[in-house]
Amino acid sequence: MNRNKLYLILILLIAVGYCWLGWSLTQTTHNIGFTPCPIKNITGIACPSCGSTRSVSQIIQGNFTDAFMLNPFGYIIALAMLIIPIWLLFDLISKKDTLYNGYKKFEQTLKIKWVAIVLTLVTLANWIWNIYKGL
Amino acid sequence: MDTQKVDLFMMINGKYFKAEHLNYIREKLLNIDETKWNRIMALDFKDPNSIMLVSLIGPGALGVDRFLIGETGTGVAKLLTCGGFGIWTIIDWFIIMDLTRDKNMEKLQAYL
Repeated sequence: MNRNKLYLILILLIAVGYCWLGWSLTQTTHNIGFTPCPIKNITGIACPSCGSTRSVSQIIQGNFTDAFMLNPFGYIIALAMLIIPIWLLFDLISKKDTLYNGYKKFEQTLKIKWVAIVLTLVTLANWIWNIYKGL
Repeated sequence: MDTQKVDLFMMINGKYFKAEHLNYIREKLLNIDETKWNRIMALDFKDPNSIMLVSLIGPGALGVDRFLIGETGTGVAKLLTCGGFGIWTIIDWFIIMDLTRDKNMEKLQAYL
């Protein structure tokens, strides 16, 4: 993964993310019956990240406990959607690659065994919680 | 390195690399030191076919295919976005095999 490829992927993800968030905020009811999640579409069971759109929109409306109860991953996504565009813009304007270096350090951290095990367990626990909540 | 050893390596591991890289790998291996042989043979390459299988069935949408080949950063992104809103999942069905071969090449490159 080189710098420009990573930045292109991030720009695409952030752009699609904001469009998706903007569109879902205009919907008055939350049960629109449409989800882009392939796992939920095929199996009908929620995936670990299901409910994070609802969670992020709760954060925007200031209902922080509701957001956490819906899906704690919403906080990670909200943070990423706030920080990454600013960081990306800073890098693109100043022609540096601080975000790329940060990304590589992040990847290295994730490859440490105990970090990987803990994060996998957290994801699995969140998944079980998601299925239990019936998101 | 010995021609025989290089040919053995190519026979066992050829399928893990892109066809256009094979010649380059062979030439480089012939030129490197004999002492690196053990370490190169101990390298753990990922099989593109099994990664493809993982990508096609359920775990692909959770980014597991990317975690397996060591692309942890994009793996997390894929997991958090429900498989990149479903679109990334489908794109990965087509590019994951070449991505795996690239990752294997990266791993070997450190010793060439």
